[in-house]
Amino acid sequence: MTSRPATAAELAGMIRDAHDRRTRLRVVARGTWQGCTASVAPDAAVLDVSGLSGILEYVPGDLTLTARAGTTVAEVDAATRAHGQWCPLLPWGGDEGTLGATFATATHGPCSASFGAPRDLAIGMEFVDGTGALIRAGGRVVKNVAGFDLTRLLVGSWGTLGVITEVSVRLRARPAVDETWSVAIDAGGGARARLEEFRRGPLAPLAIEEFETGTLVRLGGNAAFVAASREIVMTLGAADPRDTGIWTRLRQSDPKPRGPLASSALADPLSTRVKKQFDPRHILNPGIMGEAYA
Amino acid sequence: MPHLSDELSGIVGARHVLQRATELLVYESDALPGYHKRPRLAVFPGTGDEVIAVVRALHRARVAFVPRGAGTGLSGGALADDVVLIGLQRMRKIISVDPAARSAVVEPGVVNTSLTKAATPFGLHYAPDPSSQTACTIGGNVAENAGGPHCLKYGVTLNHVLAASIVLPGGDVVRLERPGENDTAYDLLGAYVGSEGCFGVTLDVTVRLTPNPEAIRTMLADFTSVDDAARATSAIVAAGILPAALELMDHGTIEAVESSIYAAGYPRDAAAVLLIEVDGALAGLDDDVSAVQRICRECGARDIRTASDAGERARLWQGRKKAFGAMGRVAPHLAVQDAVVPRTKLAPILARIAEIGARHRIHVCNVFHAGDGNLHPNVPYNGNDPDEAARVHAAMREIMELCIAEGGTITGEHGVGLDKIGYMERLFPGESLDAMCRLRDAFDPERRANPGKVVPSHRCREWLAAPGAHT
Ligand SMILES: Cc1cc2nc3c(=O)[nH]c(=O)nc-3n(C[C@H](O)[C@H](O)[C@H](O)COP(=O)(O)OP(=O)(O)OC[C@H]3O[C@@H](n4cnc5c(N)ncnc54)[C@H](O)[C@@H]3O)c2cc1C
Ligand SMILES: Cc1cc2nc3c(=O)[nH]c(=O)nc-3n(C[C@H](O)[C@H](O)[C@H](O)COP(=O)(O)OP(=O)(O)OC[C@H]3O[C@@H](n4cnc5c(N)ncnc54)[C@H](O)[C@@H]3O)c2cc1C
Repeated sequence: MTSRPATAAELAGMIRDAHDRRTRLRVVARGTWQGCTASVAPDAAVLDVSGLSGILEYVPGDLTLTARAGTTVAEVDAATRAHGQWCPLLPWGGDEGTLGATFATATHGPCSASFGAPRDLAIGMEFVDGTGALIRAGGRVVKNVAGFDLTRLLVGSWGTLGVITEVSVRLRARPAVDETWSVAIDAGGGARARLEEFRRGPLAPLAIEEFETGTLVRLGGNAAFVAASREIVMTLGAADPRDTGIWTRLRQSDPKPRGPLASSALADPLSTRVKKQFDPRHILNPGIMGEAYA
Repeated sequence: MPHLSDELSGIVGARHVLQRATELLVYESDALPGYHKRPRLAVFPGTGDEVIAVVRALHRARVAFVPRGAGTGLSGGALADDVVLIGLQRMRKIISVDPAARSAVVEPGVVNTSLTKAATPFGLHYAPDPSSQTACTIGGNVAENAGGPHCLKYGVTLNHVLAASIVLPGGDVVRLERPGENDTAYDLLGAYVGSEGCFGVTLDVTVRLTPNPEAIRTMLADFTSVDDAARATSAIVAAGILPAALELMDHGTIEAVESSIYAAGYPRDAAAVLLIEVDGALAGLDDDVSAVQRICRECGARDIRTASDAGERARLWQGRKKAFGAMGRVAPHLAVQDAVVPRTKLAPILARIAEIGARHRIHVCNVFHAGDGNLHPNVPYNGNDPDEAARVHAAMREIMELCIAEGGTITGEHGVGLDKIGYMERLFPGESLDAMCRLRDAFDPERRANPGKVVPSHRCREWLAAPGAHT
């Protein structure tokens, strides 16, 4: 059985109902990550959130954006690109997945070290917990300490504490210059050490990914900054320019597999108590962490 | 409670337990003016083990408590109303600094600037820099998720805490860590940062240290209208420049600073100044400086001064960092306000705030983190004059309502504490407040840590049924 709500209120009603009837739910968005809910109870009804889609508010001058959870990362990217901005999640797995799922799974990307992980980019959220309560967390402004931080709680909770219906994110300006080099790092001459220094230094690149075939380095900033960074790249080994699109292809083809919530996530008593508070009947993605369900 | 005080004295030593009214006087308030609450007693543990033993003793006795750092909080968070105050100020050891990992482990009572001092020999610093940084503690910073001028670029406390050990009110010790790229666990550290002492007591904190920038440029842009300065702020943000700091001070603030011992050489005839700092790699920095200067001029800046050396830079910053203190000298009392609004709305909202101030015949001084839209419309006043106090109160209320209506929030860094608890129902629907109570219940099922703060208790389901609800 599949339900596909079109609004957050409708979704809340469905979960309230499931809570009352003790119906287990498998939360699915675009389903691009086949298999990550493989251990969820086989009899769980599918709750498809991809219908909750669309950007709700985008004020470029505020560098913030609010979208429904089922909006794809690609849609957010296109809307912000028009204003020279982006939401620098750039997640492993590519941009066809949804904003809600990216935050629910706390999926990082190759640029996370420079721009922040999902927990650093979310400024607010709306979600429905396992009792059907529709909850607002945080807000739409970039700084906010009003009340306890439910936004951080939901990021990376894999749909086990609530189903995200809306996310507000902080945006950044796209770097004026954004260029990528494929470098065959020299075996000797201290090139390795220079790469490490580069990574930690003032000219740190946006991303460095190492492969057997070479190292991809993404430089970003204003022209003078990138020129200085490029000089360092040239000292590391033979370097070839690549188009920036290589990062999108890389993210699609090499999604850096990791498991969903490890079973240990629920092993500690504090996490167990949190889970009980937000999903007392254990109906949201039961078994996704390999945990027992009755 | 003779029994309990004996037990606590047994743990920390009798001279670290205070009970007499005269001794407790300094602990009756924090930096929020106008509020006084007498703790039942105050206990000052000197080690993590002592904190744990104290919390366990209070657990056995079913007594509520309030953790306290330096008491510089501006929302009344550290006030203890007839409950036990646990002061962490003796715990000021920097346990370790790891320059290679760029991190440090500290006890909760370590003062913010001491941490940076310990990191300086390694070319590192602790980035969150609340203006109270020479006094406030890391434990208090974590509890409030404190910000500061340089958090615009570097992020608030949340972004700099890697791990923390805490003792839960029930006596269990838990270690919370920032989830890494491949970790899959609830981000309980993220939930804990900013929990205002309501989730437990911080025993130690592992913080990230930030490399000192290669180069720094500090500018002071001088405007003949607040509106122009606010527009310049929005324009700089919209242009995609990320300054390290972007602070606005209006005429009232400039006057207060320049009349004080903290005089920084701000132009006294300016309607507003922007203190703008860009930092980072030397390469490309001066392009950002030119862009900032161009935008300020386009928005009507009369003059833009760039600090030529570290001394001038320090002087420009001192005026900003000591602005609250300088205002405090203008009148017997100072109402400090804290709210955040969307950055594109700064100019119209500042105009509305000025109008509200004029209508209530009060003197609003703005000094704030403009780049984040984090306002501090402060009001020096005489609290002994009931009419003036009432007008200040009414104006503050209107300003908060305005910020909420414009899509903002009631606090960006000072916390809700006691002071802002009344606004929480205006900001969040009932189900959200109840969810916050439930998160708190997971940490503190008996509701004994910092009772009566942050979320109005009647908003919590089954609140009255919980043991300890009345302590
Ligand atoms: C082939 C492939 C493999 C991938 N492997 C990994 C990997 O190993 N590690 C990794 O971190 N990322 C991985 N990703 C990234 C993953 O795509 C992102 O998390 C993505 O954004 C998923 O979007 P989706 O809409 O398709 O989500 P789905 O695949 O539909 O759902 C992903 C997970 O998120 C939960 N979820 C979805 N929406 C919500 C919501 N609104 N509220 C609460 N929970 C929700 C689901 O229950 C499910 O557990 C992979 C992507 C692909 C294409
Ligand atoms: C002049 C002035 C300027 C300021 N400027 C700024 C600013 O720029 N940015 C900013 O964010 N704030 C600012 N503040 C507010 C204040 O300094 C911060 O909120 C600071 O983080 C409080 O630290 P503290 O050690 O004084 O904590 P306290 O005031 O003692 O306590 C604050 C809260 O933290 C809790 N707490 C303290 N220690 C612990 C612990 N170990 N475990 C658990 N809970 C604990 C308390 O229960 C309380 O709820 C300013 C204050 C003043 C007076």
